[in-house]
Amino acid sequence: MKRFFRELSVLGALAAVLVGMAIFAPAFFSPQPLLSLLTREAPTLVVACGMACVIITRQIDISVGSMFSVCSVCAGLLAARGWPLLLVLPASVALGALLGAVNGLLVAGLRLPSIVVTLATMVTLRQGLNLVRQGEFVNLPDRIQWFGLSQMAGQLVLVGASVVFLVALALAMRHVAAGRFVYAVGTDAEAARLAGIRPQLVTFLVFIFIGALTGLAAMMNLAQSPQVQPLSGAGLELKVIAAVVVGGVAISGGRGNLWGAFTGLLLLACVSPALIHLHIEAYWEKAIQGAIILLAVVADGLRTRRLNR
Amino acid sequence: MSASPSTQTRRDWKALLTRHEMLLLYVLIAEWLFFYFAGTTTNRRGVVVGFGTLDRQFDILRHSCEIGLLALALTPVIITAGIDLSIGSLLGLCAILFGKLWHDGGLPIPVAAGLTLALGALAGGLNAILITALRLPPLIVTLGTYSLFRGLAEAITHGAITYTDFPASFLFVGQERWLGLPTQAWIFLGVALGVGLLVHRTTFGRAFRTIGFSPEGARYAGLPVARRLALVYVLAGLIAAIAAIIYTARLGQAKADAGTGYELFAITAVVLGGTSIFGGSGTVHGTLLGVAAIAVLKNGLACLPVVMRMNAAEEMSGLLTGALLLLALTAGVLPKILSRFRARHHAPAP
Repeated sequence: MKRFFRELSVLGALAAVLVGMAIFAPAFFSPQPLLSLLTREAPTLVVACGMACVIITRQIDISVGSMFSVCSVCAGLLAARGWPLLLVLPASVALGALLGAVNGLLVAGLRLPSIVVTLATMVTLRQGLNLVRQGEFVNLPDRIQWFGLSQMAGQLVLVGASVVFLVALALAMRHVAAGRFVYAVGTDAEAARLAGIRPQLVTFLVFIFIGALTGLAAMMNLAQSPQVQPLSGAGLELKVIAAVVVGGVAISGGRGNLWGAFTGLLLLACVSPALIHLHIEAYWEKAIQGAIILLAVVADGLRTRRLNR
Repeated sequence: MSASPSTQTRRDWKALLTRHEMLLLYVLIAEWLFFYFAGTTTNRRGVVVGFGTLDRQFDILRHSCEIGLLALALTPVIITAGIDLSIGSLLGLCAILFGKLWHDGGLPIPVAAGLTLALGALAGGLNAILITALRLPPLIVTLGTYSLFRGLAEAITHGAITYTDFPASFLFVGQERWLGLPTQAWIFLGVALGVGLLVHRTTFGRAFRTIGFSPEGARYAGLPVARRLALVYVLAGLIAAIAAIIYTARLGQAKADAGTGYELFAITAVVLGGTSIFGGSGTVHGTLLGVAAIAVLKNGLACLPVVMRMNAAEEMSGLLTGALLLLALTAGVLPKILSRFRARHHAPAP
């Protein structure tokens, strides 16, 4: 109970928001809009899982938004050329993994700080994409949207897949050796090395992992609309990092879990529809999200201070 | 065995000529010459147009002032091993506050500008308090304020209002020349001189380096670490506010999206200029050279006929800036990697 105080407090905040919505704006809970909200957040959840792993190893990746856009556009172009979905999906994942490997090579191989490396790759990828595509949309063939199923079924598939993925990864992080390696490296890389783990290799693989997940998320996003926007990934990195940090994953590495990241994501995702239902101007969304991030880190700071005393 | 005086001098010269800043200067000169010859043309009426004209050079100076100011603000921050991602957003927020104070508040321009500077310093103070009092990592604090400041700017303007119709006397700051240079260049040079003196000629600057090198060591050496760190972030907020006013004067309008993405160019300029992202070392003149390198690249590309035909100056310059940053980072750690590699291969046989 005490060990998961941080995660439970976020859950409490989420519950408070939901109860508040139930009292003041019950329309929030009508099934179709709620399902649409969850569907929209499903790709974000997949990237957030990857980001949690990256932050637990005491790194950060702010190039996910650009990787997401690049994967979306490339996958869209392949799909538009008539590639079957079963080939486009692995292609997108592989492309994401490749881009992640570049980050991983620079961070783990050359020991450069991940924040600056991924800042550079973020801009390079985004501007490269703009240069090649000039902001053009990609029109997708009909069979891609909702995987050729009905909208309802497609939405359920996406939400279900993301939740299954979350549960599997969360359990793996706790019970599989590879997951414990990630925590070990983030807690103390030197101690991990002495224990026989290769920290640089773990870091490298984690960056490949988040790249692959971004490719997967791009596909999940692709299936939701008839065309691909080249800027679909803009701002994704902030959203995901905010969700993970709010969920109690410590930016100093080694602490936190995916359940927390999931709760944090839901809390932040509720802000925008809650504002609409409560008739508050939507322009406040970014400010409120920023305030929630600050609140979460301040809570962490106060807690560690009390523990150190 | 001490070296004779003449080899000593020669070695000094060699060290000076191969310093990071000197290398950057060579790159800058090469870059400038390339654009001078490739980007200058004569139009049909026989007038020289493009990169080589004096007007264009002033334009480069004019356009690099805001990013240059932010880079100056970031130099001490990065020297202390910190980072401030919020300055681009703070530029936007300050521009809006300035416009609102003048337009809706009815304050005269100098008063509004003074208040904006105070608010910028206050916003920097928010970062400073969170980072020093609660010992939170600067990266995540400024990521939060990055979102908060931009969000406040959007909330104040409802995402739509743009403040315009500033008086000509104010636009003079951003659009005219004074004593031969664009007016804002004088402000920029003044701030550069101030930050340069602070970092290189005072005990404060020495404290910044010590903190960046080892915060624990700085504390044992009796330095007031929290106060020095706070100063760095408050200063960054203040300079971002100055940049906001210059930005408003140059464009003649204050919008909520002012300065979006500027933090990236500023960080690139600082890192290009040889300031270590791990903290502990860096120079202000290096940052100035970094700013110049980026500004020349951006404007030079816009003058190249190939890029003009593709209409892709913005994208090309962003792409090359990102690549340049990666290159500078790699070049920075390469000697270390090579020596480690060499040490491994020349290890004595067991």
